[in-house]
Amino acid sequence: MARLQVERLGGLAGLGGPLSRIRSRGEIDCQSLSAADRKAVDKLFESHARPKSTRSKPKTLGRDTFTYRLTRATSDGEETIEVPESLLPESLFGCVRDELV
Amino acid sequence: MSRGSRGVAGQGGCCCFIIPTEVLKRFSHDKKLSAEERQAFGEMVRYEKLWRDFRVDRTEHLRAVQAILPSALTAAAAGPPAFSVFDCRNGTKLPGVLVKKPATSTDASAKRAYTQTAAVARFFDQVFGRNSIDNGGMPLNSSIHYSVKYNNAFWNGSQMTYGDGDGQIFVDFTQSNDVIAHELMHGVTQYTLGLDYANQPGGLNESLSDVFGSMFRQWQAKQTVDKADWLVGREIMGPAALARRYTCLRDLSKPAGKHCLAPQVTNFSQYRDGLGPHTSSGIANLAFYHAAMAIGGKSWEKAGRVWYGVLTGSGVKPKMTMKQFATQTRKLAGTLFPNEPAVKTAVDAGWKAVGL
Repeated sequence: MARLQVERLGGLAGLGGPLSRIRSRGEIDCQSLSAADRKAVDKLFESHARPKSTRSKPKTLGRDTFTYRLTRATSDGEETIEVPESLLPESLFGCVRDELV
Repeated sequence: MSRGSRGVAGQGGCCCFIIPTEVLKRFSHDKKLSAEERQAFGEMVRYEKLWRDFRVDRTEHLRAVQAILPSALTAAAAGPPAFSVFDCRNGTKLPGVLVKKPATSTDASAKRAYTQTAAVARFFDQVFGRNSIDNGGMPLNSSIHYSVKYNNAFWNGSQMTYGDGDGQIFVDFTQSNDVIAHELMHGVTQYTLGLDYANQPGGLNESLSDVFGSMFRQWQAKQTVDKADWLVGREIMGPAALARRYTCLRDLSKPAGKHCLAPQVTNFSQYRDGLGPHTSSGIANLAFYHAAMAIGGKSWEKAGRVWYGVLTGSGVKPKMTMKQFATQTRKLAGTLFPNEPAVKTAVDAGWKAVGL
């Protein structure tokens, strides 16, 4: 896992939608993350990459909260997951930039 | 019917904190910490799960009670809500540090969060006879200065949270009174219809927050529908957004407008599953706008009462579709205003205008 692409979605402004006028993306070299954060990211991919039917889905009442789409290259091609902001290591937030499109 | 407000500090009843569970778990195994500290973090993991479960259970319990008891009875049985503001000091730990006297704070965000939250509670009380989010006097807690240059405001299931904005695209999210009402309204929806947050129920959920946010903005300004701007988030637009002529987040009267930073679809023919709730909500937003404009006068007096009646009188309907909501508003308009057929006609035409 070298580079991780990060896209912020949702929120009050509905980022990532087909009509959205804000693009919120970034990229980070995973080697720049602490060992604990790298492990946390690996765990997120492990837990969210499983088929939906086998995943425990926590009840969430949050509204207008952000989710993040994480993409990384693997030997089998690209792997993408979407996770709620509350599960993401904070060190990843800084790599994402909001810009008007 | 006004209940006014109760004190602030110490009555918030908020005992939640949101540190990601993964972080707590990590600390609970961190050998660099003492055994006592590791044990404390382990207990916090267990407490966090209990708190989350409690929050969901409390919502379900209250919804069940409210389905049985008349609305006025549940509202009157509880005292008025307390309002508390917490300062996250640019961190992400909720709720943050209690602001002791937010009503007179020199921090404009704290003062706004307090006064506008209290005003939204007064709006629901005076217009609809509703006692806070849960109609049971639930304390209303708001956290400000969340994270760093945070371009968002959200409802986390038990409280409102506001970012400062990045100063470019957005400024402080407490600056728009309709944004504060929007977030609080997510709580009301949680305790009433309990709408899901995807597909049609998700779009309805978002629309209810926009509609009641705009209605509150008009009520506060004592505006009739023809004088209202129908905008969402006008005051949170930052200089970069304004320079590109984006004057609002959304516009109920022109959901696809070029001046909207977050434009929406305007007709049910454009709807498809998977469309984000903030995009599909434009359909129901425009239906409400058309209905309220055709009725005339003040939006909260007739159209608002119909929408609120369906929201609170349908039981828990997490999967409610837009068509079902439209059908219920058509029926209720006739029931609530039997001597004013123009109201039902306006509601019907509003939905027809958006393809429903």
